[in-house]
Amino acid sequence: MTPVPRVGLPVLERMPAGVPLAPFVRLTTLWIQITGTWCNLECVHCINASGPRDPWLAPLDGDTIRRAIGEAEALGVKDIYFTGGEPFLHPEILPLLASALEVAPTSVLTNGTRINARIADALAKLAVDAPYSLEIRVSLDDVDPDLNDRVRGRRAWARAVRAIRLLDARGLLPIVTATEIVSAESPDDTRMYDRFRDFLRSLGLEKPRVKIMPVFPVGRLAGRSTERLAEDDLAGFDRGTLQCAETRVVAAGGVYACPILAGLPGARLSTGDLAASFRPAPLYHPACVTCHRTGMSCRNY
Amino acid sequence: MSETPGPEYRRIAVFGGVYNNALALEAMLADARRRDVEAVFCLGDMGGFGPHPDRVFPLLREGGVLAIQGNYDESVSAGKADCGCGYTDPRDNHFARISYEYTFTRTSSDNRAWLGALPRHRRVRLGPHRVLMCHGSPRVINEFLWESTTPDGLLRRFLGEQAAEVLLCTHTGIKWHRPLPGDGHAVNVGVIGRPENDGSTNVWYTVLTAEPDLRVEFVPVHYDFDTLARQIEQEGLPPEFAETVRTGWWTTCLENLPTRERARGKF
Repeated sequence: MTPVPRVGLPVLERMPAGVPLAPFVRLTTLWIQITGTWCNLECVHCINASGPRDPWLAPLDGDTIRRAIGEAEALGVKDIYFTGGEPFLHPEILPLLASALEVAPTSVLTNGTRINARIADALAKLAVDAPYSLEIRVSLDDVDPDLNDRVRGRRAWARAVRAIRLLDARGLLPIVTATEIVSAESPDDTRMYDRFRDFLRSLGLEKPRVKIMPVFPVGRLAGRSTERLAEDDLAGFDRGTLQCAETRVVAAGGVYACPILAGLPGARLSTGDLAASFRPAPLYHPACVTCHRTGMSCRNY
Repeated sequence: MSETPGPEYRRIAVFGGVYNNALALEAMLADARRRDVEAVFCLGDMGGFGPHPDRVFPLLREGGVLAIQGNYDESVSAGKADCGCGYTDPRDNHFARISYEYTFTRTSSDNRAWLGALPRHRRVRLGPHRVLMCHGSPRVINEFLWESTTPDGLLRRFLGEQAAEVLLCTHTGIKWHRPLPGDGHAVNVGVIGRPENDGSTNVWYTVLTAEPDLRVEFVPVHYDFDTLARQIEQEGLPPEFAETVRTGWWTTCLENLPTRERARGKF
């Protein structure tokens, strides 16, 4: 599996024979893996094994990000997401959010731990000044502090809840994002949603917003499943509905097909510009099974 | 895409999202006639949310309304399992399922066939302006084009690909108009099926006039909302639907609202 090191051209990995492909339909969503896998938490279920020590995927510099945003604008992108790692560890996060918001509605996925009153004020100003919506997604895996912190680390619950309150008080209506790591319920089951909404209302939020994500067998949970998609699994299924059909991710090393697999060589579609990544994506990873099975999207809604 | 432009007009009325609201439809058509429009267009979604689905079809036909298909119309006519509204939250989907099952089982086969024969897009000329009409977006029937989440770059791309200067859409339930650099315009014409989450009970449609510059007027429609709310209750539909009609605040299908639009509402 040696990538061809030619900048600006697609990198064709040697895949096992028979790996099904998802078509490239359009660029709807640009994800920016701004801090790579650099994070101040070390959650047990992290999809890209982020953490504070020796991130295996490097953060991006501001110029690379601004270039990607400009390219995406010219290609008619609909929305932009920042993720990591923890995006608020990046020294340029606020000006980069401002740059993205000049082009498209922008979301940032955060663990909330770095959001203090000063950052919340700055985000509120960005949201008011921008032509498009700014969405802040704060991760919380359980409404119970102990259960949450068993997954996300000591004091993660308290700091996330502080961020939720600070953002809501400024009218930013955070989307609280939970993974089904604690609960075994399915995304169609409303009990998990109801529990989170009730909890957020108890904090005083009048418009609680919740997104539930499935657990993926990748990152720290890699090895939970070795199941892979085959052509037969996709018979009669519209592959254009998969998120990799209309999503691209800019991360260290190139452009990838999906935010779950950003940084993995098998998901890399280009080592150069965004347009060069507009080709079918191999559905090679066990995480692709989860996407296919659940119909999930990493987008807000 | 380059296609023969459709018929030419000077002044048209355009609405979306009837959602079984025959009372608002009747009031809107009467209002449009008084405004001297040459044609009336509907951007789809005849069903959903309200009572007595079959009551809207005679009004549409007798009013000479030129309609296109919305996601609801596509689903009802094709006998699909759900409305294809594009919701992702389970609470939103719960209410969408109730509306769809109610509407699907009460839409006659003749009306389903009529919905199935509607085109997905229409093109007209409004004076010098080439106009493309769609339900959600030109590319996806149930794509949500909210004011706060639709970038200029995407709109320019749509207009370029469609060889049009004016894009008309609906689907979200909240109207907006954005002039673009050059001669471009994007207009979400709103819906007449339910109020637009601003605490007012009226609904909205749009009148477009070539003067020859494009003039876009959003027109409020006041109708007998109290009767509609009572009919919703008599039909055993969720009380949340009647509450929205009576208060002007959305109580369901809220979770896909972007933060800016959500912040303006009550819930």
